Amino acid sequence: MRAKLTPGLVLLLLFFVAAALLPFYVDPRGHVLRIAAMALLFAALAQSWNIVGGLANQVSLGHAAFFGIGAYTSSLLYLRLGISPWLGLVAGAALAGLAAALLSLPTFRLKGHYFALATLAFAEVMRVIANSWASLTGGPVGVSIPFVGSQPLNFAFRAVSSYYWIILGLLALVCLVFGLLARGAIGYRLRAVRENEAAAEVAGVDTFRVKLTASVISAALTAVCGSVFAQFTFFFDPDSIFSLAGVSVRMAMIAIVGGLGTLAGPIIGALFLIPLEETANAFLSSKAAGLSQLVFGAILIAAILIQPRGIMAYWPKRWSRRAPSPAAPRAEPALAKGGQ
Amino acid sequence: MNAHTPVLEAQAIAVTFGGLKAVDGISFTLKAGEIVGLIGPNGAGKTTLFNALVGLQRLTSGQVLLGGDKVSGLKPHRVAGKGMTKTFQNAALFPDMSVLENVLTAALLRHDLASARERAGAVLHRLGLGAIAQTDVADLTFPQKALVEMARALATEPKVLLLDEVMAALTPSEMDEVMAVIRSLRDEGLTFLVVEHHMRAIMALCDRLLVVNFGRLIAQGTPAEVANDPVVIEAYLGQGAAHGAATGAATGSTTVAGGAHA
Repeated sequence: MRAKLTPGLVLLLLFFVAAALLPFYVDPRGHVLRIAAMALLFAALAQSWNIVGGLANQVSLGHAAFFGIGAYTSSLLYLRLGISPWLGLVAGAALAGLAAALLSLPTFRLKGHYFALATLAFAEVMRVIANSWASLTGGPVGVSIPFVGSQPLNFAFRAVSSYYWIILGLLALVCLVFGLLARGAIGYRLRAVRENEAAAEVAGVDTFRVKLTASVISAALTAVCGSVFAQFTFFFDPDSIFSLAGVSVRMAMIAIVGGLGTLAGPIIGALFLIPLEETANAFLSSKAAGLSQLVFGAILIAAILIQPRGIMAYWPKRWSRRAPSPAAPRAEPALAKGGQ
Repeated sequence: MNAHTPVLEAQAIAVTFGGLKAVDGISFTLKAGEIVGLIGPNGAGKTTLFNALVGLQRLTSGQVLLGGDKVSGLKPHRVAGKGMTKTFQNAALFPDMSVLENVLTAALLRHDLASARERAGAVLHRLGLGAIAQTDVADLTFPQKALVEMARALATEPKVLLLDEVMAALTPSEMDEVMAVIRSLRDEGLTFLVVEHHMRAIMALCDRLLVVNFGRLIAQGTPAEVANDPVVIEAYLGQGAAHGAATGAATGSTTVAGGAHA
């Protein structure tokens, strides 16, 4: 595939270069770098969600399920069996992909709100299981990753900047996967499914298979983010890792505020929302309980009302990439040969 | 496929919604290279029949054979893969895509991305839509949308193409152009089943007509035979009207009668 260097792609590359240099300009152990790392991690999460939510318009409110599967799989394999989280994250991705495939069998017949509710219920079920199956998961107490100093092979580092760069690399990977899917044959098929499923079927698109593929890839990438999150934060519990508001809805919100189905949308959304949320917390949480969430919520509602297509809607359309025209066809091509 | 096998065979197909028999045991065959019209009053079951043939609507009973293979029970994309697809009456294009991307998506059924793009360009060129390939479908006129529908269907490279009112909003000269394209595609071996309310187009284009009313096939034959069939006239004008029309009595339905015979 020829990757044409559009203005958007240039900006995106500049963003990655600037982001990679950030640890040299801020306190490498400080709060700013932690927030930046979290913003990038949520950008990666939102981009993973964007594969189903944006390209196929399957609005999932249960992606916390895959996030938690990733976090638990890598952490438990590491704590119980001593398996490196680098391998654990691959196992978590595989498990989440399998869960997504199984979940898709009953849920793909559902449309819109019903699909969203079914996925939400799935994440809740996972939260309940993680809370009650204490012998496996440790229960409500959660999971703590012991601090072992610098062990790169075990995904353990002293410096925040190491985690930061890993997370930036993860974001780059997820963006690459999104870009390849969006611009490949499956991208056209997913958009067709999003815009008119019946017409897509009649035009020869295997809508079930296309949605299944997207769901499995999206879930696997979300699980990788979960494993990385666990290593980065050293601690999580069932209620935070399978959180509806904190993970499932936040992933979706970031992608929607940034621009659904666009490559840059989740990055812009995360860079806008995560620092905003942190600022609201820093300035308002001491004033009144819940005030910061209220203000954050109000800003979200305003953002959606002002521009439902997200911040990316302000991007000039002529700069966007369209399918280029083919060369003028030779004379009269025979169309009606059909599948002999 | 044996030369004597009909390309499409509908065997007593029925579709029931609750107690309503939308399609009530219709059987017919299409031979390769035929252009057959499907006519009947509004609500007669034409679109339901189309949906049943391509797999969008589950059959209550009966079966559909395409080139001798059973296709009823298959999903629409499998039916398209076997060589039958349809256009949508109210242009169900992918609204956020360009014209080319709409057609390209269908061409992916039999081609990889690069050659699907070539095929899509060729189909658009064939239908005279080359100039609007990069246009957003949201910016198209209704007749253009109908033609892009047809282009998208053709891009699946069907053996049998079901056209649901693609000429509804066309001017007479545009209609002539589309009919010329349909005939030339037929000459290349494509078979058509056409729903159209323009009787002029139906009469000029079709080799044969099927007439449905209340979900049943009430008549079939050449356009001339069907136009003079009292059963058909009655279906269009209502009970007793055939007799009334024949005796020249005023029925008050002259516009409908004019439509049926124009």
